[in-house]
Amino acid sequence: MNIFIRELKALRKSLVIWCLGILAMVAGGMSKYVATESSGQSINDLMASMPKAMQAIMGTGSLDLTTVSGYYGILFLYLMVMTTIHAVMLGANIISKEERDKTAEFLLVKPISRKQVIFSKWMASLIAIFVLNLVTFLISHLMVDYYNKTGESYVIEIAKLMGGMFILQLLFLSLGTSVAASIKHPKRAASISTAVLLIAFFLSMAIDLNENLEILSVFTPFKYFEAKDIISGTGYEAIYITVSALLVVVMTSYTFIAYEKRDLHI
Amino acid sequence: MNIFLHEIRAYGKSTFVWTVSLIALVLFFMSLFPSFAKDADQVNELLQTLPEALRKAVGIEIGHFTSILGFYSYVFMYISLCGAIQAMMIGASILSKEVREKTVDFLLTKPVSRTTIIVSKLSAAFVSIAITSLSFILCAYFIASYVKTETENFNEQAFFLLSFTLFFVQVMFLAIGVIASMLLPKLKSVLSLSLGVVFAFFFIGMFGSTVGEASVRYITPFKYFDSMYIIKNSQYEWSYVIVGLVWIIATFIASFYIYTKRDMNAV
Repeated sequence: MNIFIRELKALRKSLVIWCLGILAMVAGGMSKYVATESSGQSINDLMASMPKAMQAIMGTGSLDLTTVSGYYGILFLYLMVMTTIHAVMLGANIISKEERDKTAEFLLVKPISRKQVIFSKWMASLIAIFVLNLVTFLISHLMVDYYNKTGESYVIEIAKLMGGMFILQLLFLSLGTSVAASIKHPKRAASISTAVLLIAFFLSMAIDLNENLEILSVFTPFKYFEAKDIISGTGYEAIYITVSALLVVVMTSYTFIAYEKRDLHI
Repeated sequence: MNIFLHEIRAYGKSTFVWTVSLIALVLFFMSLFPSFAKDADQVNELLQTLPEALRKAVGIEIGHFTSILGFYSYVFMYISLCGAIQAMMIGASILSKEVREKTVDFLLTKPVSRTTIIVSKLSAAFVSIAITSLSFILCAYFIASYVKTETENFNEQAFFLLSFTLFFVQVMFLAIGVIASMLLPKLKSVLSLSLGVVFAFFFIGMFGSTVGEASVRYITPFKYFDSMYIIKNSQYEWSYVIVGLVWIIATFIASFYIYTKRDMNAV
């Protein structure tokens, strides 16, 4: 319990900075909506008639740019990138920092098992990603509502998007912890897990550019929950939910097992 | 000289990995160009049928987008994002790692002045980045010549000018990294700081145009070079180059000043 509280306190400052980053991102992005909206339906028709790769370069995909929810859908990809980077670095750092700061011995000679240490750290990270998700949801809801001139409410769509985002955050959090727990040099944990994230992101971009690569979707979590599917009402795809749940469970259990046997690198 | 060689060696592996990754990234994306070029022809035909006013309303000249240079400039945006992360990480870590890893008293008790230390370290960082940028530019050129369609030749001067902005962006982020590590003496996680700052600038560049195009462009190094402008005119917008150089020189001088005066935390 002490570790849990200690970690939460340590995370507070960075969490506030991340929330401000999200705020700037959503506010900055949505303020451009006014300009797009005013140029009206013609842009939409033009975009729709373009090949898929072209839409990808323009960053629109098959989203309806003239509606506020469609426009938010573009932003959502970048919000996903931000929150998953937060999650992956959090996961990698929260475990590897003890060795980096040379406090691992101090911590592990305390009368608690390694499992308890990891569990407390895991719970603290879970709270952090959950708070970030909630803040993103609130900010998004308020900003979308502000620019929404129709009577329709988009709360449910946004909530669904945030649900997908939370699963991705969990996925990358457990990736970060499992890398940090198993890698030999703790210093490299954050770099390696971030590299995996960036590779996944670029892969998802390449899939947008070339339809023949569609089959690789399963390898990049950024394709699991796409704004265009969720907003248009298709909802989550069962296969991707299963894959993510499986990955989270496997990587989390691996974190516990690997850390238990870990030879500390001090 | 010893410090310089030691740092070059210390960053050798990571420089190599970064260089290879950047080249792999551009290779992967450029290999998608041939199929993209087919789509692009349809787009061009489509655009011909549109009224002139509408074409202007869209705001971008799509003709540029569909050429190999246009496609390359799209990919290049992400290349410079990665390059910026690399440069910022080197910049933020090269001076601060001594304190973090508790080797600073070992280094500073050697019979070399702090000026020698900072000069050697910064030149090592500079050389590492130059190696990455230059190898990238060469490989990107070969890749581009290979994937271009037979009929289409691209403007090589514009290509090199565009690619060379990678080096400029990297040096700017190197400077940002160095000054950040000087201003934040208790810096612990170089990666978090670097990713945060680089992505912040990247997103400002992407969504910033609401605040007024010109002023925002001076804020984020990613927007100092407008790829469309370079492709069209085969030259840089010199006011941005000058502001960039002034910024780089100013940060380096400030870093010298802070580093030579700083009270180091020994073990």
